[in-house]
This record gives sequence, C-alpha cells and structure tokens, in this order.
Amino acid sequence: MSYLWIKAFHLAAVITWIGGMLALSVVLMALTSGPRSDRDRHLINTARTWDSRVTTPAMLIVWVLGLVMALQAGSFSAPWLWIKLVIVVILSALHGIQSGTLRRLAGDSSRPPPAFLRFAAPVVIAAVVGIAILAITKPL
Amino acid sequence: MRLVSLFEGTTLVALTGVAVPLKHLAGYPTATAVMGPIHGVAFLIYVWMVINTVSGGDWSKGEITRLLVAAFVPFGAFLNARFLKRREDALAAPAGPADKKRL
Repeated sequence: MSYLWIKAFHLAAVITWIGGMLALSVVLMALTSGPRSDRDRHLINTARTWDSRVTTPAMLIVWVLGLVMALQAGSFSAPWLWIKLVIVVILSALHGIQSGTLRRLAGDSSRPPPAFLRFAAPVVIAAVVGIAILAITKPL
Repeated sequence: MRLVSLFEGTTLVALTGVAVPLKHLAGYPTATAVMGPIHGVAFLIYVWMVINTVSGGDWSKGEITRLLVAAFVPFGAFLNARFLKRREDALAAPAGPADKKRL
C-alpha cells in the first residue's frame, strides 16, 4: 500500500480515536459520586461499548499505521517524531486510564472518577495541537 | 490481559532468542527488522492493558510493579500469566463469571 493511502487511513483513525477520547472525557466529567441512576448506567454502558468497538481499535490502527509510515519514510532519526511519539504515548496512557475508570464505574463502584480526569479534554486538545504542529511543520 | 501478556512475552522471546542472534551471529538482519516493530506494538498494547486494568480495579503497587517488570524479562510473561490466572480465579470466585471480563 502506498505511503499516501497509509497516511489517509492513519489520519482517519486519529480523528476517530481523538473524537472517542473527547467523548469519554465529557462522559466522565458528567459522572459524579454517589449511587448510579439507571440513566447513568445506560450512559456508562453505551460509552464502554463505543470505546471497546470503535475508539480502542482506532488507537491500535493509529499506532500500527504510524509505525509503518515512520519506517517507510525513515523518520526515526528526526527529533520531531520522537517528541510526537512521547505525546502519543501520554495520550494512549490517558485513554487507558479513562477506559479502565469507565469499567470500574460500570461495576458497583460509587466512587467518582479520579479528579485529574476532569482535565482530560483540555489535555487531549493541547496534545492534538502539538501533534499537528510537529507532524505538519516538522520544526526539528 | 493474560493473552496480551503471553503475546508480548512470545514476541520478546522471538526477538531476543531468535532474531537478534540471527542478526549478530548469522548476519541476517531481516529478522530483527520484522520482529522489532511487531514486538514494539505488542509491548505498547501490553503496557496499555496494564494501565487500563490497574485503573479499573484495586491493584497493589507490588502487583503493578510485577506486571511491568515481567514485560522486560524474557519468559517473564509466562510466569506473569500464572499470576494473572490466580488473580482472575480469585476475582471470579466470590463475584461470579461476569467479572472475569475485568481481567
């Protein structure tokens, strides 16, 4: 498959992954402490289903196609790519925490999500801005 | 989680036990060029699963350390799989089979 085709699918997967993470951020912000209502449970289950069927596979596609692109282009010697990779790893870890927290909330836990997840959406947006600048301008 | 751990462990053994000796002893670098990225992705998936699993349940610092150290040691994943199986059984025993999905 040509580089441009891989790039197109990589970008489509990035958009799907980031969209899913932002949706998850909003859902987790909406869930507070205390007993869960039926509506809360429905929201949690819907978000979990979307996360496991769409967002997480999109993240895997981003990783694999990103790696293929970097290998094809021989970009591993470029500092901008390593900075981008660090940001992607941080985003992936944040997604793992969000996804795990949602699974805990789907059980009988009435504990609220960790407080720092309230800042997940701004972190995701800042990361996307950083990645876009690094990938397009390749400043380093 | 157990399957991902075994996948990561198998790719690590294939990389360090087969591909790296092939490159340095037999002058055959293609094996590392193929296995390196595959193990890289397997490692990322495993670490992601550890973060996900730990965020979703009550795990001690010792258990988390054990899960992470196992990813760096060849054959560590196979010992790890037994530990995860015990943990899975312990979790399933009082709560029923539905909670098995948590691991």
